[in-house]
Amino acid sequence: MDIVFIFEWLDATWLASFAKTYAGLFSMVQAVHILSMVMLCGMLILGDLRMLNVVLTGVPSDIIIANTKKWIYIGLAGIILSGIYESSAIAMKLAHNSFFFAKMAGLAMGVLFIISIRSAIYSRAPEVIGSNGVRTDAVPAWVVKLVACANLFIWFSVAANGRWIGFS
Amino acid sequence: MLNELLFKFATWLDGFQSSTNLHESLYAYGWVEGTHVLTLTLFLGMLLVIDLRLLGVAFKELPASTLIERLDKPMMIGFIVMLISGALLYYAIPVRSTQSIWFRIKVVFIIAAGVNAFLIRNMTRSSDMMSWDNDPVPPKRIRVGAALSLGLWVLVVASGRNMAYDWWDCHKEMPYFMYWAAGCVNELAAFE
Repeated sequence: MDIVFIFEWLDATWLASFAKTYAGLFSMVQAVHILSMVMLCGMLILGDLRMLNVVLTGVPSDIIIANTKKWIYIGLAGIILSGIYESSAIAMKLAHNSFFFAKMAGLAMGVLFIISIRSAIYSRAPEVIGSNGVRTDAVPAWVVKLVACANLFIWFSVAANGRWIGFS
Repeated sequence: MLNELLFKFATWLDGFQSSTNLHESLYAYGWVEGTHVLTLTLFLGMLLVIDLRLLGVAFKELPASTLIERLDKPMMIGFIVMLISGALLYYAIPVRSTQSIWFRIKVVFIIAAGVNAFLIRNMTRSSDMMSWDNDPVPPKRIRVGAALSLGLWVLVVASGRNMAYDWWDCHKEMPYFMYWAAGCVNELAAFE
């Protein structure tokens, strides 16, 4: 399906002309995009490394996951809003950029993964990982670790593809 | 004087074939820059967790010392790789970076953030910390330090991002002060 018309529409919006006019503001939004990524990925890394028993071992995983949740959503909102603004300025360039589409696919997959599988599995982390006490509905430790690795991989690919947009 | 020394050093680095090779490489430069941004995520992500705890807005159930001590290692790994990749990025484009006002601002903010981190570290290692370690909201001086830490790193990221733009590069028409601040040696000489 040809979706170039979406980029053509975005390129013709007032947002695009605004973003193209104010280069100083554009660079600030780029900084916001990076800082939102830091917030999002930093919190995800903390949760995932905790589940892999790499950091904060022995600290109840429920506390870590609960505390990171709000910041993950703030970071996500930040990258999406700043990303739309950035995209509007270079819409026609992105329409033919493979790394942009790879990033968008990864982002969609990452968001779905967080709100479905990651959330469900982490809330059922076994005692050996979570230190939350015995759970009747606990999943095997290897499943939790697999989810942590998969999540790290997905978000690594989103960040790496995003960085590569600028080089292509 | 300092500007001339820095310029000579940058020109000397620029003379190495490996510097040119890295700059002109199709993939190596991109990978180094990608690594720089990704390790920034690890370093700054862990620092964010610690600072949010010190601000008393997140992870309030955990003792502050637990987060500081146990996130120190991944944070430092991120910092070291970020520092190495940053040095490589400078090595790839030494002359322009040396004469970039944004690079200079970034270095000043990094130094300020380093001094601030040193002061926070001292405050959180003193015996006094035991008195507030479990408090959901730490004392005001700690919160001020954490806010300053976050603010300075935001400025580091923003100035680093601006390095990509040539608004105030030496080849542009600028006031004398800007040439001096950016260290535009040849352009300053033209004024004399």
